[in-house]
Amino acid sequence: MRTRAPGRAATASEGFVAALLGDGGDIPWAARVPARFEATLAALPAPVRAAVRGGVAAVDAYARVRTGRPLAALNAGERESVVAELGRRPGLVPLLDLLKVPVLLAAATERAAPAPAPEPPKDPPLTCVPAAHWPARSRADAVVVGSGAGGAVAARVLARAGLDVVVVEEGEHHPTSSFAGRAPLERFTDLYRDGGASAAFGNPPLLLPVGRAVGGTTVVNSGTCYRTPPHVQARWSGRFGFAPADELGVRLDEAEALLRVAVQPLDVLGANGRLALAGAARLGWRAGPLRRNAPGCAGSCQCVVGCPTGAKQSVQLSVLPDACAAGARIVTGARVRRILADRDRPGLPRAAGVRVERPGGGAFEILSGLVVVAAGALHTPGLLRRSGLGGHPRLGSNLSVHPATSVAGRFEEPVRSSSGVLQSVGIEELHDRGILLEATASPPGMSSFVLPGLGRALRRELEDADRLAVLGAMIADRPSGRVTGRDRALVRYALHPRDGRRLLTAVRAMGQVLFAAGAQEVLTGIPRAPRARDQRELDELLAKVTWRQLHLSAFHPTGTAAGGADPEWAPVDGAGRLRGVHGVLVADGSVLPSCPEVNPQLSIMAVASAVAHAHPT
Amino acid sequence: MRGTSFTETLYGTLRLGADGRDRRVRLDLRAEADEVLRPHRTTTARLSGRLRIAGSGESPDVSGELEISPIARRRIRYRLSFRLGGRSLALDGWKSVTWRHPVTSMTVLPFTLYEEGAGVGAGTLCFPLTTGLLPFLLGFRFPRREDPARYAAPRWDGSPGRTEVWYTTLTDPATGTGVWLHHELTAPADGSAPVAHGWVATFPREGKVRHARFGPAPWPVPGPADGFRAAGVTSTPGQLNGAAGDFHWDLTEEALDAPLFTFPRWSWWRPLLPAAHLLPAARAAYHGALHDGERTLTLRAAPGASARIHGHGNARRWAWLHADLGAGDVLEIVAATANRPGLRRLPPLVFLRLRHRGRTWPRRPERSAAGLLGVGRFSARIDGPEWTATGRTALRRIRVEVSRPADRTLALEYRDPDGSRAVCRNSEGADARILLERWWGRWRTEAAWTLHGTAHTEVGDR
Repeated sequence: MRTRAPGRAATASEGFVAALLGDGGDIPWAARVPARFEATLAALPAPVRAAVRGGVAAVDAYARVRTGRPLAALNAGERESVVAELGRRPGLVPLLDLLKVPVLLAAATERAAPAPAPEPPKDPPLTCVPAAHWPARSRADAVVVGSGAGGAVAARVLARAGLDVVVVEEGEHHPTSSFAGRAPLERFTDLYRDGGASAAFGNPPLLLPVGRAVGGTTVVNSGTCYRTPPHVQARWSGRFGFAPADELGVRLDEAEALLRVAVQPLDVLGANGRLALAGAARLGWRAGPLRRNAPGCAGSCQCVVGCPTGAKQSVQLSVLPDACAAGARIVTGARVRRILADRDRPGLPRAAGVRVERPGGGAFEILSGLVVVAAGALHTPGLLRRSGLGGHPRLGSNLSVHPATSVAGRFEEPVRSSSGVLQSVGIEELHDRGILLEATASPPGMSSFVLPGLGRALRRELEDADRLAVLGAMIADRPSGRVTGRDRALVRYALHPRDGRRLLTAVRAMGQVLFAAGAQEVLTGIPRAPRARDQRELDELLAKVTWRQLHLSAFHPTGTAAGGADPEWAPVDGAGRLRGVHGVLVADGSVLPSCPEVNPQLSIMAVASAVAHAHPT
Repeated sequence: MRGTSFTETLYGTLRLGADGRDRRVRLDLRAEADEVLRPHRTTTARLSGRLRIAGSGESPDVSGELEISPIARRRIRYRLSFRLGGRSLALDGWKSVTWRHPVTSMTVLPFTLYEEGAGVGAGTLCFPLTTGLLPFLLGFRFPRREDPARYAAPRWDGSPGRTEVWYTTLTDPATGTGVWLHHELTAPADGSAPVAHGWVATFPREGKVRHARFGPAPWPVPGPADGFRAAGVTSTPGQLNGAAGDFHWDLTEEALDAPLFTFPRWSWWRPLLPAAHLLPAARAAYHGALHDGERTLTLRAAPGASARIHGHGNARRWAWLHADLGAGDVLEIVAATANRPGLRRLPPLVFLRLRHRGRTWPRRPERSAAGLLGVGRFSARIDGPEWTATGRTALRRIRVEVSRPADRTLALEYRDPDGSRAVCRNSEGADARILLERWWGRWRTEAAWTLHGTAHTEVGDR
């Protein structure tokens, strides 16, 4: 409350933040949190912002009913009693957890000491043109929609084949130099679609963040590069008749070479990864440092908000420069409104180009006989629908997302997980059962793990967060989701009971690793069963909860425009061509026929390369 | 099949190069399509016109292509190429039609300028709706698009008493010599075998007229499908060759204009009139060589035309004129009195066709011959070596005076299928004076042409 100007009434947000963090005016950094909280809210889409403000208003109204005054007018003790009463209502705890997320983001950002700004490296050159400066009418041999893992590779292949390629990217170009010196949270809201608040609706709901920048999600992913498992390749090729899978080996080699993929050296692994390795070793489980695309990684632990040292070879540093050197151009800040198709011809309609919206209003068009859609699994279906090309009944369905959850272990010594490799170690003991554990330490507040407690208890957890090591688990899921909508993607995901059970198994396994590594207690992130002090207690807790009570995230949407030989099942044919139209290729995660079961960047790049190579130029 | 033609003028601005300055632009275009414009379909038209850029000069020879597809593709695309200040530039732009903004999207044309494939400028052109819409709509024409070769094929169906002619007249621009090539098929009325014959004649500016006949020769069975091929002489689309007496010739014909129907179009396909006459191409250019026993003419783009006649025989009296007026204009007149009982006493029916500035007047051949229910017919006065034709429509009138010099006239005998004879006096080196006037408060001269020795004419009687 101390930053408030004299005579200005405290806002509901200030009261809410103070109540949630148990701030009695004695925490130096807490005074800056409300402003940061407001700034974070401002970056969220209007419906999410309205929901958070509604929640804040509801808590404030509860305080008025209980005490006759709003939260901002209460003293610390009164606020503590209000949130304690709320916390005693089990039905409200999951909702309060949702409200805690932006507060924790803001609090962790203000609490953390500013990281020293590394010397900004010089990125390889890109030919980027802001949408405002792109002419209203232009032509190209190929238009690539999206510059992520799939789009970048397709653009590179086509440009090197001699085509005049234009890449249309909705996000902006964020060079590595722009990351240095800026708080992770600021970068987070810039680099993610909807400020990182995109979600899949379901029971339970899943947070589903995706990147929006030149380079797509590869700018904000962890840099983990798994090759597509052989059994997945075999399934795609044999069961689905997906031709790119036949040559995936070569394409994966090519992608690995482009990204300079190598096993992460141990020197900058960080305590989080070392503890995971130690725990797995004691259990005798298969584990090791992950293969990553970050040669010379300095262990900044900021992969998910843009690598500040330029070590992580996101496609904007590795693939797009090649494409631009071959003549490709990237239009930034440009959202493709629709794919233009000429329908007055014998047979199927033919792609003619794209109509693109400029950010400040207005539009431009690029005519091209070849359109490569790589807008991501969440947005490719909407683009095809609003282009009149979404007639296939299975477009948007078949969504796999790799549901994921996190568990933290509290250790006696500081872990300082903010120093080291963000996603460092993979534990593959349960991988054949569809469970992949990865030691993942996100920047402050950005983990899918939510600290338990409210008020002073939450504050204590926050202050003690340096002693937490975090493990994440993702599971190979059944395609239980669906993307609907034309202008905005509406994602629905009904977690399959089998996958729910896998997630509970994963939580237990992560607890095992953490206890084996010497954790004093394990924080489950489950509101009704937040902590366990040993394995037995954890097992008892897990026996009482259901998978619907898990706090879930998802990171790798795939399969919404699946490729395959069966025209009734697959909206895209076995070579990556959209059915029902000539001249539209799909080259992103949406074309994968099923869940890749590992972090999908390499798989998407390899498939995009195969799709682009298969197209006669 | 009909085509479409219209003109359009667009105004706007252009930013060329790095100076960042907007320049005012005016683009005048003429679009011609080989099919009727159907808004729900895609129509491709040829574009030609002129581009003027304030401060940067103008390009008078803009050419390109227009893709008209406001509904099917929701796009009207202009692709033009032109030279400006020594640079070869290409303009590529399109109106993106949307039902949300029908007027704006149909009138605003954003474009990009390219030089050697690289964008060097951009701008926007607008169609001025308030001042431009009415002329734009009134300027739409749907002219027929026909292949001249279609009219070269023989029409004779084996009936007796028919005659069919392929003739070509031209003037060598280098020497002023006129040339007449006449190819005829006659199917006698008595049912005897048809014969092919004809002649060739030259009309030098100095010296006497020379001619030679070929045939008669039997008409081949089956007959040729593409024109006249008999007696060692050929007259087919694009090709004229043969030999007769001292003459031999080998010419190629390049059609320069659409067909011109001297008689009503229907009369060619439904032979209800005693005869029908047409020009497969109103103008043509001839290349090649012709030797007449004394001189060899080397023709390069010699103006002229080929014509076709199909009917029962020659008229009782007739006069004919073909006059190439230059600049794409041409005048064709056939004034004739039929040789049928009851019709012989009538004054000549005048079929006058003037193709001027791309349009043909009168609009229908029947207008000059039959008037409006017989009123306002064009008239002709055929009198010795000179003859005249006059006529008027509501707001336009014409007077044609033709003079046939005696020393450049060739008299030949024609023979009808029934054996009767006629005499024609032909000259491909005649003079003509043509006065076209338009009523605007008073009669004002619209155009006047005087031809000295380049008119082609014939007068015949019995």
